[in-house]
Amino acid sequence: MKEDNKLHVEENEKHLLMDHNYDGIQELNHPLPFWWSFTFYGAIVFSTCYFVYYMFLGGPSLRQEFQKDYAVIIAYQQEYKKKEGIFDPELYAKFSTPENTKKGEEVFTNNCMTCHQEKGRGDIGPNLTDEYWLWAKGTPATIYPVVFNGVPDNGMPVWSEVLSKEEIYEAVAYVQTLHHTHQPNGKAPQGVKVDDN
Amino acid sequence: MNSDGTTRGGKLEKFSYDDQIVRWFIIATLIWGAVAMLLGITIAFQLADWHVNMNLQWITFGRLRPLHTNAAIFAFCGNAIFAGVYYSHQRLLKARLFNDLLSRIHFWGWQLIIVSAALTLPFGLTAGKEYAELEWPIDIAITVIWVIFAVNFFGTIIRRRERHIYVAIWFYIATIITVAVLHIVNSMEVPVSIFKSYSMYAGVQDALVQWWYGHNAVAFFLTTPFLGLMYYFVPKAANRPVYSYRLSIIHFWSLVFIYIWAGPHHLLYTTLPEWAQTLGMVFSISLWAPSWGGMINGLLTMRGVWDKVRTDPVLKFMALALTFYGMATFEGPLLSIKSVNAIAHFTDWIPGHVHAGTIGWNYLLIAGILYYMVPKLWNAKIYSVRLANIQFWTATIGLVLYVVSMWVAGITQSLMWRAIDSTGKLVYPNFIETVVKIVPMYWVRAIGGTLVFISFLIMFYNLYKTAKSGSIEAEPVLEAYALNSSSEEPNAAAHRKLEGWPMIFAVLSLIAILVGSGIELIPAMLSQKYIVKMSVVKPYTPLELMGRDLYVREGCYLCHSQTVRPMTHEVLRYGKASEAAEFVYDHPFQWGSKRTGPDLARVGGKYPNKWHFRHMWDPREVTAGSIMPRYMWLFDQKIDYDILKKKMSVMQTLGVPYTNAEVEGSVDAAKKQAEGIRDNLMESGVSKEVVNKEIVALIAYLQRIGVDYGKSEVSQ
Repeated sequence: MKEDNKLHVEENEKHLLMDHNYDGIQELNHPLPFWWSFTFYGAIVFSTCYFVYYMFLGGPSLRQEFQKDYAVIIAYQQEYKKKEGIFDPELYAKFSTPENTKKGEEVFTNNCMTCHQEKGRGDIGPNLTDEYWLWAKGTPATIYPVVFNGVPDNGMPVWSEVLSKEEIYEAVAYVQTLHHTHQPNGKAPQGVKVDDN
Repeated sequence: MNSDGTTRGGKLEKFSYDDQIVRWFIIATLIWGAVAMLLGITIAFQLADWHVNMNLQWITFGRLRPLHTNAAIFAFCGNAIFAGVYYSHQRLLKARLFNDLLSRIHFWGWQLIIVSAALTLPFGLTAGKEYAELEWPIDIAITVIWVIFAVNFFGTIIRRRERHIYVAIWFYIATIITVAVLHIVNSMEVPVSIFKSYSMYAGVQDALVQWWYGHNAVAFFLTTPFLGLMYYFVPKAANRPVYSYRLSIIHFWSLVFIYIWAGPHHLLYTTLPEWAQTLGMVFSISLWAPSWGGMINGLLTMRGVWDKVRTDPVLKFMALALTFYGMATFEGPLLSIKSVNAIAHFTDWIPGHVHAGTIGWNYLLIAGILYYMVPKLWNAKIYSVRLANIQFWTATIGLVLYVVSMWVAGITQSLMWRAIDSTGKLVYPNFIETVVKIVPMYWVRAIGGTLVFISFLIMFYNLYKTAKSGSIEAEPVLEAYALNSSSEEPNAAAHRKLEGWPMIFAVLSLIAILVGSGIELIPAMLSQKYIVKMSVVKPYTPLELMGRDLYVREGCYLCHSQTVRPMTHEVLRYGKASEAAEFVYDHPFQWGSKRTGPDLARVGGKYPNKWHFRHMWDPREVTAGSIMPRYMWLFDQKIDYDILKKKMSVMQTLGVPYTNAEVEGSVDAAKKQAEGIRDNLMESGVSKEVVNKEIVALIAYLQRIGVDYGKSEVSQ
């Protein structure tokens, strides 16, 4: 096919046309657009200042900023754990109604079932339907802190970092309904037999 | 004075162009483009619905994703670059390609490399570094073919009949030189067997080299060659002079010099020393204007012919490509600002950004170039302008769906990751909640990608019909004067003189890219103090090493990161922020770049063995709503103990402090550890005998990740 089009040059740019010619390609020599030069040099100036401030003039490092931020959140957490980590019978009474226990079942399904299996028959985590206990003693007051603080060495997460205290009370209430049910295909007993209830 | 040589002295010579090789590369571009996009939509649907993995190891996401990226970058874009470069290079220099045989070796060699990628990656044969997954024999083949390309390219320059080299060729030169440097430095690896090697670098060093390479693969494989093509094909198609020669000079040199520094912006908030991170960020910001220089020079070249942009498919595709180029190169510097990166990194925003570049810039520009070249090379008219228009709009709509859905997904998920309530706990502590939330966006992306794929098929058909309707004529014989001193311009400005000395030009380009590379990489290579060792961090056991190789084989790093950034929400979610010393035995590093699933830097000891056992069998057994594929084959395939000793001794060579006795006894040690895990699994009720199966090695590795420091008393 033939190149039948002629080079299109605007009237007001004819004086900018250079005598370069490569396979018919010619070049104008427009000056650099002002805003482009501004962006170009502006970015370099900014970059230099930024680098100098953070590297040489004591600008905080990413780690320092993190430490500051982290300390604030940890203070919040500690306050919460101190206040809510202790079993409160009044709150338990409030959150162990049949309606709340139903919600507790949901919490259990979404969070605990992975390890304790359906109806708490145990799998990765221990069986919750027999009379043997590893950390708690089968009562709400002894189960609550185990859930709240977890048993990290055994893979039981610190649930207070995941669930609200209301959800934990509800889940404990649900677990109470499983006690002594001796689900079929349950995991073998672990821990100490507790006879009191 | 007329620089095209026609009125100059010298001998009048007859020559012709080798257009056949261009036709071959065009056909390869079309075939591999379709393959790359088909792979792309396959993995997009796999993310939307895990069933699409079909429980087949060879087509599971972690194996196919590297094949998609390699096919899109090196097969599709690579062949398009070669087609366009070979077409324009000859014409800009008035010379036939240096050697027809070299051209053909180049063509078939490159296709063979692509085929070998397709025959290795699905089988899990991978080096485990993004965009550099191909194993060492293929790496060598790439080097050889690239050198052949370079010889052919520079040989043509030597035989040129045009004194000065045009800006397109400047970009080609920078491409050829830099890609060679990047590929060779990043591919330094020690072979274990014909299909397995370990990166020479470890941990932070490996990460730095990899992202210096990875970012500059974008720069010098997807940007500079395409800018060069743009500088040839846009003025040709528009019949317009290039807007500004001055801008060409300044944006070329600034782009080449600055781009090479930008890699560390992929490693912000990691354990890379902060000065290197900051360099990565500020050079990325400085890259904004040089990138836009190319966009302006392209778009303003179309000034005065905008009416043609409306009607001519060639210009239409080029105008949109330049627009997307401008968008992506604005987004890039934005994303490299530390505080923006803190939000965007590891999220879907990044694949969105990348595809604005690869689909918006590379594919659309290739479309424009093909619509320009095919009618000329096959002596035909475009078969259907209407089909080209349909393609144009289908691609645009598909791309917009892709980019917007990924913005939404990325920002949504990131905000969920970082939400903390007044009791100091994460609002969405279960990672899966943040995944389920964005699955609808994965569907939108997959549909967008499908539209892009369909648009490509339309072009395939349209160009096929175009070629079919034409005919290949004998190469026309052309005439031009040989170079002699009459074309020298003794009073020319310095840069104009430089354009007459292509080899010096090449050396200066090399120096331009070596400055940034040297300043960033050499301290990492030389200084032993670079990483303060921690006595608690010990090498992997033999079984863990085997498990780690499985982790690499399955491409786990494509969805799971292994580095906890020093950010409150990450430390709350995962545990202690990572330290450089933790990675000193990691050949290759596995930090990853995307968190489709949660970070795994502290996964060791987080769950019991049985959790992993069930999770790898079917992730949904332990995590409802998980989109992770199943890995059932790990429960059938045996651990390959035969190669273990060799692996250990290669690691020893690389500086991992294994004693000779440990290497000698590695198989026994591994078997013993496997028995321990088997016993533990059986105690918790697993009845299947898995002691010699791959799953045990993988569990051993997963349970080790991040434990040495993570579970130690050493504080942050």
